[in-house]
Amino acid sequence: MMEQHRDAGGNLSQQDFERVFLPHLDAAYNLARWLLRNDQDAEDAVQEAYMRAYKAFARFRGGDGKAWFMTILRNVCYTMIKKLRSHETPEPFDEEIHQPVGESDMQEAFRQKANAESLHDALEKLPDEFREIIVLHDLEGLAYKEIAAVVGIPIGTVMSRLARARGRLRAEIIASNARESLS
Amino acid sequence: MNHDEAVRLLGPYRDGELDLTTCLKLEEHLAGCPSCQQKLAEEQELVGLIQSEAPRFKASPFLKTRIRAALREEKSLTIPWWKHFSSVWTYSGLAGAAVMFALLAAGVFWTQRIPALAQEAVADHVRSLQVSHLMDVASTDQHTVKPWFAGKLDYSPQVVDLAQSGYPLIGGRLDVLDRRNVAAIVYQRRKHYINLFIWPSDAESLHGRLYEQNGYHVLGWTKSGMNYLAVSELGEKELREFVKMIQAQTIESRPGE
Repeated sequence: MMEQHRDAGGNLSQQDFERVFLPHLDAAYNLARWLLRNDQDAEDAVQEAYMRAYKAFARFRGGDGKAWFMTILRNVCYTMIKKLRSHETPEPFDEEIHQPVGESDMQEAFRQKANAESLHDALEKLPDEFREIIVLHDLEGLAYKEIAAVVGIPIGTVMSRLARARGRLRAEIIASNARESLS
Repeated sequence: MNHDEAVRLLGPYRDGELDLTTCLKLEEHLAGCPSCQQKLAEEQELVGLIQSEAPRFKASPFLKTRIRAALREEKSLTIPWWKHFSSVWTYSGLAGAAVMFALLAAGVFWTQRIPALAQEAVADHVRSLQVSHLMDVASTDQHTVKPWFAGKLDYSPQVVDLAQSGYPLIGGRLDVLDRRNVAAIVYQRRKHYINLFIWPSDAESLHGRLYEQNGYHVLGWTKSGMNYLAVSELGEKELREFVKMIQAQTIESRPGE
């Protein structure tokens, strides 16, 4: 497999690398942008990920390039997050606001509030590992198995984490609706 | 399958992640459980909403250019020169290798003679692509780009547009070469960029020699008291063509006019 990526002189070919990995640029950028929350950091992270992937290209054994590359990108993003947010304290999850009302009321509140803007805000509020799994699965269409490889967790954990992430997202949308009707 | 188990599997069921057996068992339970049916509908609604309404951020076209330029830089740094030599040795036999060795030696000699100015220009060019700082003034209009430099430089560079010939002007920026501020005019050729640096030639003039460094080409010349240095990742042929057109269109004039 390794020979595939080398030219006649045994050198790694930039062309091969670009052919395999540049198609994942948008997916990579989307994840980085959701994790880092601004364009500049996301672009830097994606570029850094491409550099690292290029250096590690010789170890790429073919197969799913997207999962392989997203793993590298995710590591770069989390390293950056640690640096960027070392001085910030995360906003606590307000249990009172997120206290469910009644089942049917909840679904109604969800419908009222659910639009592009509220969804965006709600996603932004999720903890990184929840936001990330929703982006990987629901937006980028990665299968549970691929997510398990990228995030480095068992498939069972992918399943339960995704369920919790969606539950929390729903709660956020309803909570922001509750806040709005109070004010 | 009991109810709790079914509730836990509704998400994976929606996502098509259950094996056939589990799938059938769940559907059996689902058929007789309105609560699960309701939950599944809600799950469906939420995921549908995410997929239709959540923004999927798209990378800007500049990012791709930046990455490709950085990869090219990386490559030239990571492959040592003797690797080229050993591959040649392996594949083309002794006589060929001897010829190649002579060429390579000439190449090394040539490389060492690349003036510091050309190296600096390549570094400027690469940086302009890497840090999203290709242009300070983005315009395809030469009558916008030229006045922009007024007050920023003690000379006025000639700005010509070559859109007709396939090298559209896209903007300009201030840059630093040889410890002085210079005008950088930016042109585009397909997905590649050309930085054309212009400054008065009081110290030294350039002699129209083409240099290659790490896959970038640099060509400098002096005309009417101004130095011009074009840098690009374009091939030698296209860069020469570009330079020829710039030379043909810059009018003879004294600096400062």
